[in-house]
Amino acid sequence: MSEIFDFNGAKGSGWSQPEPMKEDAINTIPSSLRRSTLPRWPRASEPELVRHYTWLSQRNFGIDTGFYPLGSCTMKHNPRINERIVQLPGIDRIHPLQPEHQIQGLLSIFYEMQEMLEICAGMDQVTLQPVAGAQGEFTAIRCIQEYHRQNGDIQRDKVIVPDSAHGTNPASAAMCGYEIVEIPSGEDGRLDLDALRAAVGEDTAAMMITNPSTLGIFEPDIAEAAEIVHTAGGQMYYDGANFNAILGKTDPGRMGFDAVHYNLHKTFSQPHGGGGPGSGPIGVKFHLADFLPSPIADREEAEDGGATGDGYRYFWRTPPNSIGKVQQWHGNSGAVVRAWAYYRRYGRELELMSEHAVLNANYLRHQIMNPNREHQNSIHSMPVDGAPTEVVKHEFTLSMMPLKETTGVTGKDIAKRLLDYGYMSPTLYFPMIVPECLMIEPTETESREVLDKFAEDFLTILSEDPEVIQTAPHTTDVRRVDEVLAARTLVLRKEFED
Amino acid sequence: MDQLPNLGREQEMLDSMGLKSIDDLFSDIPEDVRRIDPLPLRGPQSEEEIWADAQHLLGANIDLDSRPSFLSAGLARNFVPTMVPMLATRGEFLTSYTPYQPEVSQGMLQAMWEFQTMVSELVGLPVSNVSMYDASTAAAEAITTAVRVKGRKATQKGVVYVSQFVPPHRLSVIENYTQGVGIELRTLEHNSDGMVNLEAASAAAGACAVYVEQPNAFGELDEGITQIKEIIGENTALIVGVDAVSLGIVEAPGNYGADIVVGEGQPFGIGPTAGGPIYGLFACKKDYLRLMPGRIVGKTLDEDGNDAFTLTLSTREQHIRRHRATSNICSNETLIALMGAMHMALLGPEGLEKLALRVAATTEVTKQAISGIPGVELVDPKTPNFREFAVKLPGNAADAVAHMDAAGVLGGFPMGEWWDSMSSYLLIGCDERTTQSDIDALVSALMAWVEEVSA
Repeated sequence: MSEIFDFNGAKGSGWSQPEPMKEDAINTIPSSLRRSTLPRWPRASEPELVRHYTWLSQRNFGIDTGFYPLGSCTMKHNPRINERIVQLPGIDRIHPLQPEHQIQGLLSIFYEMQEMLEICAGMDQVTLQPVAGAQGEFTAIRCIQEYHRQNGDIQRDKVIVPDSAHGTNPASAAMCGYEIVEIPSGEDGRLDLDALRAAVGEDTAAMMITNPSTLGIFEPDIAEAAEIVHTAGGQMYYDGANFNAILGKTDPGRMGFDAVHYNLHKTFSQPHGGGGPGSGPIGVKFHLADFLPSPIADREEAEDGGATGDGYRYFWRTPPNSIGKVQQWHGNSGAVVRAWAYYRRYGRELELMSEHAVLNANYLRHQIMNPNREHQNSIHSMPVDGAPTEVVKHEFTLSMMPLKETTGVTGKDIAKRLLDYGYMSPTLYFPMIVPECLMIEPTETESREVLDKFAEDFLTILSEDPEVIQTAPHTTDVRRVDEVLAARTLVLRKEFED
Repeated sequence: MDQLPNLGREQEMLDSMGLKSIDDLFSDIPEDVRRIDPLPLRGPQSEEEIWADAQHLLGANIDLDSRPSFLSAGLARNFVPTMVPMLATRGEFLTSYTPYQPEVSQGMLQAMWEFQTMVSELVGLPVSNVSMYDASTAAAEAITTAVRVKGRKATQKGVVYVSQFVPPHRLSVIENYTQGVGIELRTLEHNSDGMVNLEAASAAAGACAVYVEQPNAFGELDEGITQIKEIIGENTALIVGVDAVSLGIVEAPGNYGADIVVGEGQPFGIGPTAGGPIYGLFACKKDYLRLMPGRIVGKTLDEDGNDAFTLTLSTREQHIRRHRATSNICSNETLIALMGAMHMALLGPEGLEKLALRVAATTEVTKQAISGIPGVELVDPKTPNFREFAVKLPGNAADAVAHMDAAGVLGGFPMGEWWDSMSSYLLIGCDERTTQSDIDALVSALMAWVEEVSA
């Protein structure tokens, strides 16, 4: 293995730069403020670094490498036209504080995206500022908090989340100062309305929930749940992580939600980039719109036809009771432009995307669970399905508990063995209410052949020698990594010898 | 079928499951919440049409490189080495998720561990995470981290002093992140010359933290900041927000006692890109490690005893700790941090120093040129600046910007948009790409406006 710090050539730089405009520029810095020793960064040439990063890329698994059935993450294909567009100087070389007339094209894309997202979720006003799903949650809960304060409802200090919720939901509410009330799911994994009725009250600020749930099943009682929360004076927040399942088929507005976040990096193909950037716009109903972060893109008719030729002049608008800002600028504009390009490919046919996501999830589930297949022996040792339902939405869960009880093979072992077969592992041990959980989301961009092969390989693994599974992976760049050692020794940077 | 491999094969797949139609897949959605009508949106477009519209709309924007530009205010009109986007957008990096499976994610994990090391070296502190969203959320979460760490011993419970000259759009983020969790923000006053009032700083001893920026909102470097740690003592955290490029020539805050350093990473790795995606730097002393936000990569061994990298200390994070997590951050800005790492590695130590000197040089030359315009005064003539400086104009700065705009010059940022009392202040931002002819254009455009308002 080589590390970047192994490159330690002669003094100089791997990148050519012009000379400073003025020779003695260092004298502009008071001597007491001058840096004494330079950071020990590598000294490497461009060819060496190109090879280093190419080598690193080859030791990394992306959607481009192979099937990535990571539940809750919507690892769909990232169309390359989107990447080409964001290299244009009209986005890459733009400053967010430029005068409005200089960025009419950007503003028009923002406006179009706000409007499209409002329509898709049944909301009245969208802001594109939050830069990740979790920040979208935080922003919406902040708006709800201000709404309650304005109504004098300061005693509302609790936010309700189901125990199957994404960890970001309670974390985001806690960052606003809310106490979290977790309600248990029913035995079928669905929302327990009695538990909800018992939890709501005059202290309820909001409920945060995703639908379909993290089990991949649609909550049939969602409208009733909304009514229970609203009757108690609380607000309904929709975690849009699973929006890929329902776009065009229903929307959070119809279900009774007051606020929603979207993940442009899930539903609208912004690449995940190894953990980010994301983009987490939020949409709200009218009664919350005045609290949204500033600014929002708006427009008015332009007599001269407007800079983009669509008849409008675009401008930034500050909502009257705005909470201010959650990111310093206008959000992850580059992600918004990518999502715009993605949306333009589908237009009003966006529901095709959800249809195929749900078709693929059900098909794959069927291929794995169908007891009539030739892998019948493995099927008998199969785990019970974590999601007892006829149809799932865009993802489904499998519990490996029965397998663990009979052979000792855990969900994690299966996940690691899948890596040997050239797959990314499904999401592991989430939601926590499913024991030994694997959560699988194939997305709409996988072919039937890939799904068939994955199901076949999955079933093959179940009939393998447990020892082989438990010692997996065998063929990856490194073998099973010692995470306990990592947390104990905490080697968090290169230590230099001098 | 360009984006949907199974388009046209739906029926055979449905048949194999014993389902009749796509509608069967959505039969679990109760009728009263089902959407019946099609989405009222425009029709689909082909790749060619999308490209044409993107060129048309984004082409209607005026990009910073197309004219002399002096707008910075926290973002850099940089030049990103060609290698950076080419390598960072390799599909294996671009299309990967958070490296939860280290065995097939060694590439990104190692790149982030190397990033942590380079950031740690840059700011002079031992620990760095793999990025925050931007400088503002990095500052906000530095404050909440400091309160968690210093809260118990603090004599001023929950109190954090924030420099008077933190730009309002960043302060607003800080306020949103701190308002609900029992933190009281107090203003740390500056003197009339723009420097931190060190007597006022002594009042912060016993508070949880002090947050200052070096340079401040006026681009001013403040020697007094190096003395603050001594004044506030061990029980109060010093948080410094930096211009990352300046650290090629300006002392690393870790070397004058900073507990946490934050800043905008954007100058390394990516263009201003209309404000995002960019990335926030977050580095700290070891005492803050277990209560800090964000992902961290550690070096360890695999089963065979080979070196390997993995995410570590995840028990701080929301997916494990839920409402007790140190932050809600999940998606971060890893890909942009990767671009930053590549840019930093290409620069190397000497390249960084040269980059900083280039910015210092254009700042100084521009400052001299502007201060020669009659009627235009430097706001703080004696203070050293990096990247930006503020001037007081004989009229409204927003008018001046509009006037210069008509002459084809992006002349800076009118500071009245931040502080009402500063409507005549213009913030002029320089960078490594500022040329003599840019400066000449700025001077003549500003002079023309001054003559007009003075006439």
